[in-house]
Parts: sequence; structure tokens; C-alpha cells
Amino acid sequence: MSLHFAIAAVVSLAGALLAVTQANILHAVFGLAIALVGVAGVFFTLNSPFVAIMEVLIYVGGIAVTMLFAVMLSSVSNPKERESVRRRLLAALVAGLFFVGGALLISHADFGAGKQLTAEAWGLEQVGRDLLGRFNLAFETLSVVLLLAIVGAIVIVRKEPTMPADTVPADSDEEAA
Amino acid sequence: MTLEGTLLLGLMLFSLGLYAVLARRNLIAILIGIELMLNAANINFLAFNYFIPTDPAVAQIIVLVVIGLAAAEAAIALAIILKLYRQRSSVDVDAMQLLKSTGAETDDE
Repeated sequence: MSLHFAIAAVVSLAGALLAVTQANILHAVFGLAIALVGVAGVFFTLNSPFVAIMEVLIYVGGIAVTMLFAVMLSSVSNPKERESVRRRLLAALVAGLFFVGGALLISHADFGAGKQLTAEAWGLEQVGRDLLGRFNLAFETLSVVLLLAIVGAIVIVRKEPTMPADTVPADSDEEAA
Repeated sequence: MTLEGTLLLGLMLFSLGLYAVLARRNLIAILIGIELMLNAANINFLAFNYFIPTDPAVAQIIVLVVIGLAAAEAAIALAIILKLYRQRSSVDVDAMQLLKSTGAETDDE
């Protein structure tokens, strides 16, 4: 299990590095897909196979592909252009400080101990029961949010019906009729 | 494979996402950074759930909800990016300064 975790962690970190450093945005999206597969592997080693499958289905199959569509529809004129060195150094400094602070917190924290649990408590069956039982409200709210997001996305990207009232000659109505 | 190691992996992913959000100019690259940060948070949820469990199903459901919200967020964000690209022919955040006060009168875009 430890070897699986190490492989998944390396894959996710390599993909994330690719996603963050590639100047070409298309390569960055592929890097994100690799990172998400690695994260799904990490989920699998953390005893959550259902979440891992959902991660691959929704993230890699849905979000990454939608991003590819967006990249291709908004073709940037010079995709190879890099950000300025100063900007990247500043961002690396902030992110590095954040990492060091977080690592110090993790190494000094006392997390305590958990409960002893039966094997059934981990199972997919329990997740399904809770999703439609205890947490039914979250589940239903999420579906409504997703529906609204899809409708909203369509409304946002929809091309407005062009009504060139002032550019069309006045007698065009009679010609059309 | 320990709790600290898993949290460290989440921290690394979050830092990389933070770097992407701060350093990149392309809006889609910034969105990629945000997705990385959300995944780092998901790893932390499941790590705590695995190593110090109290109610194993809860963290999995939290992560499922976060994944769903990320999907909704990505859909809306990409729609806004496409709309911006159509109107301004650019997905560069430095070009998005329509509300900036200085030189608003002589906007040459």
C-alpha cells in the first residue's frame, strides 16, 4: 500500500509541476489531467475507491475535457509567451513561504487519535446510505447547483441574437415580406 | 505512508496551485491552479478520514460535494472566459482592467 501511495504521489506531483510550469496552455491542461489521475490513485490508497472513480470520471472526463474545449475555442495568438521572471519569482516566493509555514505546522501539530471502527463503516454501502439518508439535503442541493451552473454557462456563452436595427435599410422589411 | 506524509503531499499540491494562480496570466492556467488547490483540500479531508477516523462516510461525501462544486465552478468559469475572449480577444488577466480608474477616458483597447 505504501508503494502504491508513493507512485500515486509522484504521478500527481509530476502532473501538477507540468500543469504549473508549461507555457503552452494545452500542455498545462494535459499536466492537470495527469495530476488528477495521480490524486485519484491517492484517494484509492486512502480507502475511498468510490471517490477515486468519481474523481477520474468528473475531473479527468469532465473538467479537463471542458478545459481543452475552452483552450481550443479561445486560441491565444502567442501561446508560447512566458510571464515575466519577476512575476514568477514573486509567486514562487509566496508559494514557497506558504509551503514552509504549512510544513512547520504539520510537523508540530498533534492530531490525536481516532475511533476504532468496523469494516462496514468504511464500505461503499455506508456511503450510499448516508448520501441518500443523513446527507440527502447536501446531495439534492448539489444537483440543483449543478443544474443551475449548466444553465448559467449556456446563458453566458450564448451568442446574443444580432439585431442590427440601425444598420439595416428602412425598406428591408418589405423586401423580406 | 503516514498522516504527515499525506498532508505534506496535499500541501505541495496546494503550493503549486497557489503558484499557478499568482504567476500565470492566462485565465485558464489560473483555473488549473484553483483545481489543484481544491484537490489538495480533498486529499487532506481523506487523509484525516483515513488515519484518524471518526465517521468514515462523511469525508467521502464531503469530497464528493467538493468535486461537484468544482465541476459547477469550472463550467461557469470557462463560460465566462469564452465570453471574455469573444468580447476582448484575450484571456490575459493583465488586459482585464476595464474598471481601473487611471486612464479610463483614453482606453485604447
